[in-house]
Amino acid sequence: MSLFPYLGALACLLPAVVFAKPIAYQGGTAIMGEYGAGTMQEVQAFYAPSYRWSAGIGLLHLEADDHRFSRDIAYLRGNLLLRRWNLPRAQANVFAWGGIGTASGSDFEGPKTGWNAGGQADYETLRFYSSLRTDWQYAQNAYSHRIDTVQLGWAPYAHDWDRLATWFVLQGRTYTGGIYEGVEPAALIRLFKNGRRGAVWVEAGVTREGRLQSMFMFNF
Amino acid sequence: MIHRLIAALFAALMSLSALAQDPPRTIEMRVDGLVCAFCAQGISKKLGKLEATEEVLVSLENGLVAIALKAGQDLSDESLSRSLTDAGYTVKAIERKAESLDAVRARLKAKP
Repeated sequence: MSLFPYLGALACLLPAVVFAKPIAYQGGTAIMGEYGAGTMQEVQAFYAPSYRWSAGIGLLHLEADDHRFSRDIAYLRGNLLLRRWNLPRAQANVFAWGGIGTASGSDFEGPKTGWNAGGQADYETLRFYSSLRTDWQYAQNAYSHRIDTVQLGWAPYAHDWDRLATWFVLQGRTYTGGIYEGVEPAALIRLFKNGRRGAVWVEAGVTREGRLQSMFMFNF
Repeated sequence: MIHRLIAALFAALMSLSALAQDPPRTIEMRVDGLVCAFCAQGISKKLGKLEATEEVLVSLENGLVAIALKAGQDLSDESLSRSLTDAGYTVKAIERKAESLDAVRARLKAKP
């Protein structure tokens, strides 16, 4: 079951639709990690020479929900900010990325060259947040799968720079390629705090099946 | 003679009054797109590296960035705009003020 029809409808309703941004700011380094309910685990590190692009590395581990197969993908990736809208009390962005790496898995022979492409769109104010993200992985004669994620967030108070930001987030995710059947919804709480040495973002919650969904990001 | 004396006195008073006027101590900028805390961190880092910068204040709630200048130093509007544009934001207005950054902070906190 694909999320795209729902995401398309949502995109029509919202001015634009993101997530942890793959490019934080010029000269910034971002380290991210995600535990996706036992189905996916990913760590990434990116450096942004400009606010328009960043480059880095990532490791992705996938485990099919019926445990038929697992995959490990290590990649180099470039992220590009395609378009940004700076509004008086809001910001919207569209990002795209692409990469190459090496993949191994229990359902195909030997390590393969893996390709990756994806995109993300976001719209954010001090109290409302929405994001739409798609990530496609491909290796010839081995696999082709996509992870689509939508998030909607609401902040109970407008946070300023020196205050802890709190967000309540609803997430929906689908996987193609036999990794997971159906939509995996999750409810999350996100905390964000700036410090002298950097900014920390922590997000944790549960899926409908009661599995842990969490993410962290550190920017410096 | 009296006319010359009055004119000299007037000129001296004018220059004293100019001297008494405070030089700008802070620069306030209205910035669009200032909503996420990442934005604040990036801007603070970038502007904090400028030689004339003493301290940076970012207020997401007010869409405002303020810089405290080091004594006797200034930053051109052009260089400020360029720094913020390079950081990915849009500058809408730049204003120089004689008040300190602490006074700006207090004014923003007092806002309803």
